[in-house]
Order: sequence, then C-alpha cells, then structure tokens
Amino acid sequence: MIHLVTDSTSDISPSDAQALGVHIVPLIVRFGEEQYRDGVDIDADQFYAKLARTEVHPTTSQPPPDVFSTLYRTLLANPDDQVVGLHISAKLSGTLQSATLAAQAFDPGRIHLVDTESVSGGLQLLVRAALDDIRAGDSAATVAENAMRRRSKVTILVLLDTLTYLHRGGRIGRAQAFVGSLLNVKPLIAVRDGEVVPMARPRSRSKGIELIVEQVRGCTPLRSLAEFHAAASESMVDLEQRLSTAVSNVTAILGRIGPVVGAYSGPGGLGVACLGAD
Amino acid sequence: MSATKPAPELSLLREPLREIGGEQVLAGLTAALSWLEANQQEINDLNVFPVPDGDTGSNMYLTLRSAVEEARHAPTLSAADSVLAAAAHGSLMGARGNSGVILSQILRGFAQGAAQRTHLDASGVALAITEASAVAYRAVMKPTEGTILTVVRDAASAAAATAATTDDIRVVLDRVVTEAHAAVERTTDQLQVLRDANVVDAGGFGLAVILEGFARAVGDTQPAAPTPAVLRRSGEPALRLPPKPGDMEAAGSQVARRGAAAVAAREQGWGYCTEFLINGPGLDVDAIRAELSALGESALVVGDPDLVRVHIHTGDPAGLIAAASSRGRMSKLKVEDMSAQHHDVLARAEASEAEAEAMGTATRERAQAPPKPIGVASVAPGEGFREIMGSLGADIVVSGGQTMNPSIEDLLNAVRAVNAENVILLPNNGNVILTAEQVDPLAEGCEVRVVPTRNLPQGISALLAFDPAASLDENATRMLAAIATVRAVEVTHAVRDTSVNGHDIKLGDVIAVVDDAITEVGSDYLEVIEAVLKSQAIKPELVTVYRGDEVGAKDADALVSSLRATHPETEFELQAGGQEHYPYVLSLE
Repeated sequence: MIHLVTDSTSDISPSDAQALGVHIVPLIVRFGEEQYRDGVDIDADQFYAKLARTEVHPTTSQPPPDVFSTLYRTLLANPDDQVVGLHISAKLSGTLQSATLAAQAFDPGRIHLVDTESVSGGLQLLVRAALDDIRAGDSAATVAENAMRRRSKVTILVLLDTLTYLHRGGRIGRAQAFVGSLLNVKPLIAVRDGEVVPMARPRSRSKGIELIVEQVRGCTPLRSLAEFHAAASESMVDLEQRLSTAVSNVTAILGRIGPVVGAYSGPGGLGVACLGAD
Repeated sequence: MSATKPAPELSLLREPLREIGGEQVLAGLTAALSWLEANQQEINDLNVFPVPDGDTGSNMYLTLRSAVEEARHAPTLSAADSVLAAAAHGSLMGARGNSGVILSQILRGFAQGAAQRTHLDASGVALAITEASAVAYRAVMKPTEGTILTVVRDAASAAAATAATTDDIRVVLDRVVTEAHAAVERTTDQLQVLRDANVVDAGGFGLAVILEGFARAVGDTQPAAPTPAVLRRSGEPALRLPPKPGDMEAAGSQVARRGAAAVAAREQGWGYCTEFLINGPGLDVDAIRAELSALGESALVVGDPDLVRVHIHTGDPAGLIAAASSRGRMSKLKVEDMSAQHHDVLARAEASEAEAEAMGTATRERAQAPPKPIGVASVAPGEGFREIMGSLGADIVVSGGQTMNPSIEDLLNAVRAVNAENVILLPNNGNVILTAEQVDPLAEGCEVRVVPTRNLPQGISALLAFDPAASLDENATRMLAAIATVRAVEVTHAVRDTSVNGHDIKLGDVIAVVDDAITEVGSDYLEVIEAVLKSQAIKPELVTVYRGDEVGAKDADALVSSLRATHPETEFELQAGGQEHYPYVLSLE
C-alpha cells in the first residue's frame, strides 16, 4: 500500500488529515524556551493569540530525522508498503533534509521524496492531487513523478500586512526589494521555484485582493484552488466572494495558515494557492 | 510704437558691421547672460498659474550660464562656429525646465546654422537664427503658438527678410530684437491661459531678452578694435556688464520697463561675485585653485603659468583678494554684489551641482561593480519625499521639482550613478519631463526610459509598481498603468490676484491644483481639501497626505483627524514630504 506523508506546513487540519488518510509530520515552533509541535501542541488560534501577547519573536525548526524514522518504520511494516513524501520547499526549510536522512535507513525504492518547491495551500493542493493519483491506482514512483511535474503549475500568492515576520525569519528572498518602505503598503508576495518573490505593493488590502483575483484568473483552467488566512477571516470573506465570481468551476478549499507558516506571514496574511489543470 | 523701431540714423553714423567672429559671438552671449540675469526675476514672475511655478527665468539663466561657461573654453575662441558649438554643448548639459531645454535647442540650431564658418556675415546670422527656429520646433512634439517657439520663428523671419536688404549685421540684429519683442507682446492674444492671466509668455520674453543682450554687445563691438594684450593672452573676451536700464529706455526697449524691478532688486546684498586675473610668470595654477577655492563657492580657476583667471562667489572678497595678490600682480578686478534672489537660485544650483559632483564620485566608485539589469532615478523636492522614494527602491533621488528644475546634466549624472543597464527616469513634475527626455541619447551604455510622471503622487505610484526582476518594457507598462490610478492634489497659496478656470483668485488664497488644473479656491487648507474630496465622483479608498516643510506635524495631524471624521470610509495616511511652497500634496487612490 502507498502511504502519503507530508509536513505541517501543508496547513492540512488534523481532521482533514484523518479524513484524507495523509500522515503529517509536525515542524517545531518556538517562543524563546517554549517549544511546540505545529498542529499537535499548538493550533492556529492558540498561536495567533500568543503572537499578539508576546514580545518574543517565534522561530521554527525542521522535524528531527528520528520523527521521520519512527513514522517510516510504522508505515513500512509490510513488504508491499511504500511511502511518498511531499514536503515544503527545501529553499524554505530543512524538513526534506531530515526526511532524506531518515529515508537512508530504508531500501531506496520504498520511500519517494519530493521537494514540492511549495508551501501551505500550494503544498496541500499537491498532496490532494497525489491522493487522487493513489486512488486512481498509480504506482508510488508515478505519484512522485506527477507531483514533480505539477510543481510548475502551482501558484501561491500571499498578501501580507507587513514584511517584518518574513524578514526577521530570514525567508524574505527577493522580496527584500520591498523591505523598508516608509509608506504603508500591503506587500503581495509569491512563492516561485521554491522561493519568496515580490509581486506588487498595493496601498490597500482591497486593491491587493483585486490583484490576487486578477492573477488567479490568469492561471485558469484550474484543477484546484485553496484560500488561507492568518487571523484575517474578514478579508478572507471578501477574497472568497470575489474569487468565486471570477473562478466559478472549482470549489475552493478554505483553511488557516498554521503556526509555522504563520510565524513568517505574520497575522493578517491572506493567501491563495491554485493548481493548474493537468 | 516708433520708439521700438531700430534707429537707422544710428547705424548710418557707424561703419556697417559686416562680419562677426568668435570673440564677438562670445561677447554677445556673455552680455545676453548678464541681461537675462538682470531680468530673471521678472521672467519668473510671469507665471500663468498663480502658484509657485517652475521658474522660467532662473531655468533659462542657468541654461545660458552653462552655455557661456562652456563657450569661454571653446577650442578656438576666434572662430564663431567653435564658440557656438561649445555654447550649444554647454546649454544642453545645463538645460533645466522646458524653457531651458528649448533654449538649448535654439542654441544647438544656431550652432548648426553657423557650422564651418569662423565668421558670420549678415546672411550667415540670418541662416543661423532660421536653423535655430527649425531645430527648436522639431524638439517639441506638439509645438504651441504663443510661446518661445513663436518668438524664435518671428525673429528668424525678421532676420531673413532684413539680411536680404542689408549686409549690416547691426541692422539685422536690431530688427530681430524689435520683432522678438513684438512677438512677445502678441503671445498674450495667442494663448488663452496668457490672456486670462494678462501676461506675456515667460519663455518668449526670456528669449527676447537674450537676443537683446546679444544684439547690443555685438552691435557695440568694433571687430577691428584692439583687445588688451593681457586678455588676448588669456583668450578671454572682455566681460560686458549688463546694459543700464537708462540706456535701454533711451533705446526705446520694452525690456527696460519690465526689467527695472529686477535690476533694482539686485541692490540687496548676499555675497560677491568676484573675478580677476593673476599675472605670472611662474604661476602654479593647481595650488592657486586649491587655495582660492576654499575661500568661496562656485570657484572657477583656470589658466597657465603666465595668466590665471579666477571667478569665485565669496562672502569675503577682501580676504580673497589679499590671498590672490600674494600670488602675483592682479588685474581686471571685478567685484559684484549678488541679490538675495540671485543667491538663492545660485546656491540651489550649486547645491545640485555639488550633488551631481558627489554623484559623479559615486559613479566612479560604483563603476567598479558590474551594472545591475535595471534601476530607477527619480526627482523630488523635500527630504521626506526623497526618503520615501529611496525606501520604495529608487536608486537615486535628485533634488528638484517645481521651483528648482534639475538640469539635463543633473539627470544624466543621476542616471549614471544608478549603474544599471536600464534606467527608469521619473521626472515627477510636468516641467521636468522634457528635460528628462533629453537624457537617453546622452547616456552611453545604458537605456533610459522616461515614465512621464507629472507630479509626486504619480512618481510614488510608479515606484510602488517597480519590479527589479522585470524588464524595462514590463516596468514601464506597469508604471504607466499605476500612475493612471492615482489622482494628485497639490495645495498651495496664490502668489497673485488672477482669474483662472472661472475662479476669482486673490493673492494668498488657498488653491488646490488637481491633476494640473486649479479646481478649488478657499481660505483655509481643510476647506479646500474637503471641497476636492467632495467633488470626486468615486470616493477614494486611500488618501495619502504629504505635509510640506512649512506645515507642523501637529497642524497636519489635526487636519487629517478632521478628514478622518468626515470620511469614515476612506483610509488616511499622513507623511512628511518636506516639499517647499506646497503645504499639502495629496494622493487619492
């Protein structure tokens, strides 16, 4: 049997994970000395509430390799068991590195790891597409190959309230060009080829949502669409309304930006991921 | 108007002037500069809009000054073509504002018309003026009558017609000056804006003043007259003082009437324009330059071991003279008081020259780094705007704008300092666009694209749309789209009584200029800004308020609080723009 493994930066909620039958390895989020497993010891609500209260800037780290080892051992109990692991972009996190280390203890053909060059909703859409492939009876190798092929069809756009979190977290990438604005802007960033890139600097959230809708429309036809927010449910309603008018043939997956990704987007982040049709 | 006609009896008394060479042309240009300087303020005051506007007089003066400085160092001072080619080059580098750019094109045309001629006869002068007119018309995409263009064209026709009947250059130039002034008078009826404001065109008037100064000096010159030995050696022509107002009255010029105020105003002192020669032998030019430059600003110290020419603006001419006299025998000492206005203009010009120089240094330092694919050079008045633009990714922000237009050279230096293969240039002022457009052909090794931003809010919007990863074309397209979504509101005080767009405006009234048109007039800032906001068909989502240097933070806070209270659905952001003359600049999005 093929088991699908991903990490908590896919922002798949625990209940969805259970329903989908996907295994999620949590990354670690820290506030100073306090340490939490993403989605296990801390959920989105608790995280943003804590973020609002504390002066300490949260940091994150990849799951230790032994967490992967333990999971792989469980999943590969039977000789016909195989694992496909889809993970956050290796340019954004060392998670894939941990998984690769753990996988070395197993037969090469049994674990197929993919750098999705993606994160959050984008990673989630690739995971869901891979689950479709598994259900359709594809081999583990084909599932992994398909995921690699789909990477270029993923678009991730995030409208931020501030670049502070991305900047302090060291994941700013080429969006560095947007840092330091003395004017109040709502930076719109994208994840492209696994890295953060600057898109636009709208002066208002509403203008930013307009730009997102425009971009998503440019990606049609779509296979799937996901919308995510970091403690910005009101903006999400606005985005959902405008997107559903613009792109009517797919039903959006709605979700939250979890603690680890939220540590970089900061509160107020609003994201869209879409996956172009195969 | 018989008084304005040339005085034929006067020319009959003299030998006809059949030919002029480089010295006379330089003397003419130098006198034109002095006469323009004397009339500079008056030209500035001929604003169509009652707002502190791009200073036409200062722009033309600084442009011509640059021309004369270059002409003084022409390779062959005795040759008219050499002097004019140098003047044309100098004016191009120094050109500021639309009138300055057109003046530089007039000089370029004049130089082209005089090409390959060491001496000009009457028909040569006529040909040069005709070419000047043609080149100036070609430089402007949509030539408008009732401007400097009309004046140069009418002057050219007069020159051609007169040169067909006489070989006396004096007669030709007299006729040119008379026709130029007549053309200036006619501009009031040729342009609605001029008629409304009841003024003549400032640029056209400036050109008539230049022609008048030139004609007077050339007409007074006796080509055969011996020049003092010392001057021949230095290659410098005698410096001509501006004609006295009384002289001009006698000559029946209309300039005298207009120029009187400006000449009187020069009595106020600031510093002294000090010029002299130091006679050798054995002078160490570099050492003299180092010593004397420290004693003033804008130092020009040139020469050879036998003769050094010094031109310095200083507050302490006595100290300067004492220092210089220890180096050698001094001669041709001239100390001239500069008016406060003159100082202001020069100081700002020098500040921007110093800036350009600093940029030049930066260019040399940066030149070692490989050029990046694309960068942005922008123009803004006020520290606040410059900082904001820098924070949004402008590589260089040249200081300048409404009342201190940067020269082509300032912009060229800025573009070079960006050190990129492609440079987007944002003029951010309607009066800087034409200057900016002259930069690309001069900038070697990089492509310069002007995104014609007419005001600061458009400049900010363009910068916000900048993507360093995108191509020049993509960026230009993005920026053009971005500037279309922003509306600029510039709030200032009327600088005189007038009537514009059906508004009766009194000196000191608060006026709002929305996208280049005066739309609201009132007595206080809040009232006028409220009127503008009410008149908007679509409610702006975001209003950014940039306070000028004369508005305190508290006053601006109070104004923005009031606006927030009356427009709860609009977001307001307050920024310190630091711009001069405009207490508030608003951007409506």
